[in-house]
Amino acid sequence: MSATVSTKRTRQPARSGTAARHPNAGRAKQVTRLMPTPLLAVITTLLCIMVLVPIVYIFLASLNTDAGVARGEFWPSAFSGESYVKIWTSVGLGKAIINSILVSGSVAIVSAVIAVGTAYVLVRFTFFGRLTMLRGLLGLQSIPGTLMILPVFVLFSSVGTYLGISVIGTLWGLFIAYLTFALPFSTWVMVTYLRGLPRELEEAARIDGASNLGILFKIIVPLSWPAIVVSGIFAFLLGWNDVLFASVFTRPETHTAAIALQVFSAGQEGGAIPVYSQMMAAALVCAVPVVLLYLIFQRYLVGGLTAGGVK
Amino acid sequence: MTTETPGRAGRRALHRPGDGAPGHDEPGGGPKKKHRRGVTERNRPLWLLTPGGVLMTVVILIPLALGIYMSLIDLDQYTLRKWLSTPFIGVANFVEALTSTDLLRSIWISVSFAVISTIVTVPLGVAAAVVTQNAYRGRAVVRAIFLIPYVLPSFVVATVWRTMLQPDGIVNNLLGKVGMGGGLWLNGPQSYWTLILVEIWAAWPFIYLLALAGLQSVDHEVHEAAALDGALWWRKLRYVIFPYLKGPVSLAFLLGTLNHINNFTLPFVLFGAPAPSDVNVLPMLVYVTSFQSFRFGLSAAMAVVSLILISIPLFIYLRAVRLDVHEEGAKK
Repeated sequence: MSATVSTKRTRQPARSGTAARHPNAGRAKQVTRLMPTPLLAVITTLLCIMVLVPIVYIFLASLNTDAGVARGEFWPSAFSGESYVKIWTSVGLGKAIINSILVSGSVAIVSAVIAVGTAYVLVRFTFFGRLTMLRGLLGLQSIPGTLMILPVFVLFSSVGTYLGISVIGTLWGLFIAYLTFALPFSTWVMVTYLRGLPRELEEAARIDGASNLGILFKIIVPLSWPAIVVSGIFAFLLGWNDVLFASVFTRPETHTAAIALQVFSAGQEGGAIPVYSQMMAAALVCAVPVVLLYLIFQRYLVGGLTAGGVK
Repeated sequence: MTTETPGRAGRRALHRPGDGAPGHDEPGGGPKKKHRRGVTERNRPLWLLTPGGVLMTVVILIPLALGIYMSLIDLDQYTLRKWLSTPFIGVANFVEALTSTDLLRSIWISVSFAVISTIVTVPLGVAAAVVTQNAYRGRAVVRAIFLIPYVLPSFVVATVWRTMLQPDGIVNNLLGKVGMGGGLWLNGPQSYWTLILVEIWAAWPFIYLLALAGLQSVDHEVHEAAALDGALWWRKLRYVIFPYLKGPVSLAFLLGTLNHINNFTLPFVLFGAPAPSDVNVLPMLVYVTSFQSFRFGLSAAMAVVSLILISIPLFIYLRAVRLDVHEEGAKK
C-alpha cells in the first residue's frame, strides 16, 4: 500500500488520462469540456505546426546532402545518409559524445547517491540550520552559471598552480562543477519525495533495531526509485546540456558534445560550401540520448519537473 | 498535491495513537507539534550531509564570496596567477562597469528580452494546457509534440535555428519565395527579435507543464457546478478555471523570466561570442569581459550587478516557496 501511495505524486499526469477513460467517460467529457471543439482544434493545430515545421525540416535537411540543402531544398531531391557518416570525422562527434556520456553519466549516479543521503537527513532529522539548508537548496538552484564561472575558474586554476593538480582542461573539473550544480535540484526533488513517504515502515524497522544506514538502504532507497531516477536524469541533463562551463574548462580532447557542435558550427561559417546538412545531423545525434531518456522515463520526469518547480 | 493532503493527514491521524517515535511529542498535541513526529534528535546521521555540504561550500559558496572579492580588486590576465596579492581598488570596477561599458545597455536588453519572452510564452503555454486537458483520441501524440522543444537540449535548438537563419538558409529561402526579404537574422538590429523568437519557441512548453499541473488540481465537482449553472465556456474558463491557475502561472511568470535572464546557451550558440551589440545580454557581456577581454575584476563587478538584478525576482520566488516550507513543516 505504501508503494502505491508513494508513487502517486510522480504519476499524476498519467492518472488524469486513466480517469478520463472511466466507464462514464462520455458524460465526464461533456462536463469537463473547456472550449468548443473547433477552437480547440485550431489552437492545437497552430501549436503543432509551430513545433513540427522546424523539426520536420531538420530531419529532412539531415537526410539531404550538403549541396542539396545549400540549394535551398525543403524536400530533398535525393535522400542520403551521408551526413550521418561524415559528422564522425568532420565534427569529431564520437569522442565528444563519449566525453559527455562519461561526465554526465557519472554526475547522474553520484549526485543521486549524495542527494538521497542528504534529503534523508533533511527530512527525517531535526538539527540546527535545517530550514536554512532547505531554503538554501532552493536559492542555489537559481544562481546563474555566468556568475559562478569566473570564481570557479580561478579556484580550479589555483588548485593547479598551488597544489600541482591540473583541473582545468580535464573532465574532472567538469565533473566536480556539474555535480555541485546538480545537487541543489537533485536534493530538492528527493526532499519533496521523501516528505510524501509514510514513516510507518521506518518506525517499525527502527523498533526492530535497524540502524540509520540500514533504514536508508533497505527502506528509503527501494521506495524512492522514481525520485532517484528523476534526480539522476536531471543531473545528467545538466551536464549534457551545459555549454558555459564546458566552453571554458575543456581542451579539444576533452570537448563535450555541446562544445564540439558549437565549435563546428562556428568554425565552418565563411567556408565555400555550407555544411548545413551535417550540422542538422550532428545536432540530432546530440539530442538522441536526451530524447531516449525522456521516452523511457517520461511519466516520472514530467511529474518530477512539477514537483521540483512548483514546490 | 491538493488531492493528496487529506489522505496523508488521515493516515497520520490513524497511526498517531500507536506512534512509538522518539522525540518530544506531546500525546494528542495540536497540529503545530505534528511535524516533530518521526523527526528525531537522537542518533542523527548528520555525517550524511558532508559530501553534499562540502561540495556546495567549496564550489558554490566560497566562489560566491570569491566573486564578490574579485569585483573589488584589479584583476586581469597579468595578475590572475597571483590574485591573492592583487591590489584592492574598492568600487572602481563598479564605477567603470556602470559608466564606460555596455552594462546598462545589456541590462536593458536582458530585461526587455526576458519580459517580452515571458509575456508571449505564458498565454501559449496556458492555451496548450487547456487544449490537452480533456482526453481525445491522439492526445498523447499532441502532448508528446508539445514537449519536443522542451526536451531538445538548448544547444541543439540554438544550433539548428542558427543554421536555418543563415543569410542563405532555409528561412530566407522560404521568405524569398513568398516575396519577402528576410534580411540578416543573426546580426544587426533584427538579431534581437531572432533571440526572442527562438527563446519563445524553446521555452513555452515549460509554462505548459506548469499550467497542466495547475489544471489537474481542478476538482471534478467544480466542473459539475459550472455545468449545472450553465456557464458558457469562456466564462467558465475566465471565472472558474483560471483562478486555479493563478498560483502556477505566477510561478511560471517568475521562473520563466529568471530563466530567460540567465540564459547563456541560446545567445552564445546562436550568435557566438562576442555577441552582436543588439543581443549583448548580461550573461554574454559577463562572459566576454572575462574570457575574451580578460578583465576579470570588471567582469566580477558586472556579475555582482547582475546578481543584484536577479535577486529581485528570486527573492519573491523564495518568499513564496518559503511559505510552502513552513506549511509543509507544520503539516508534518
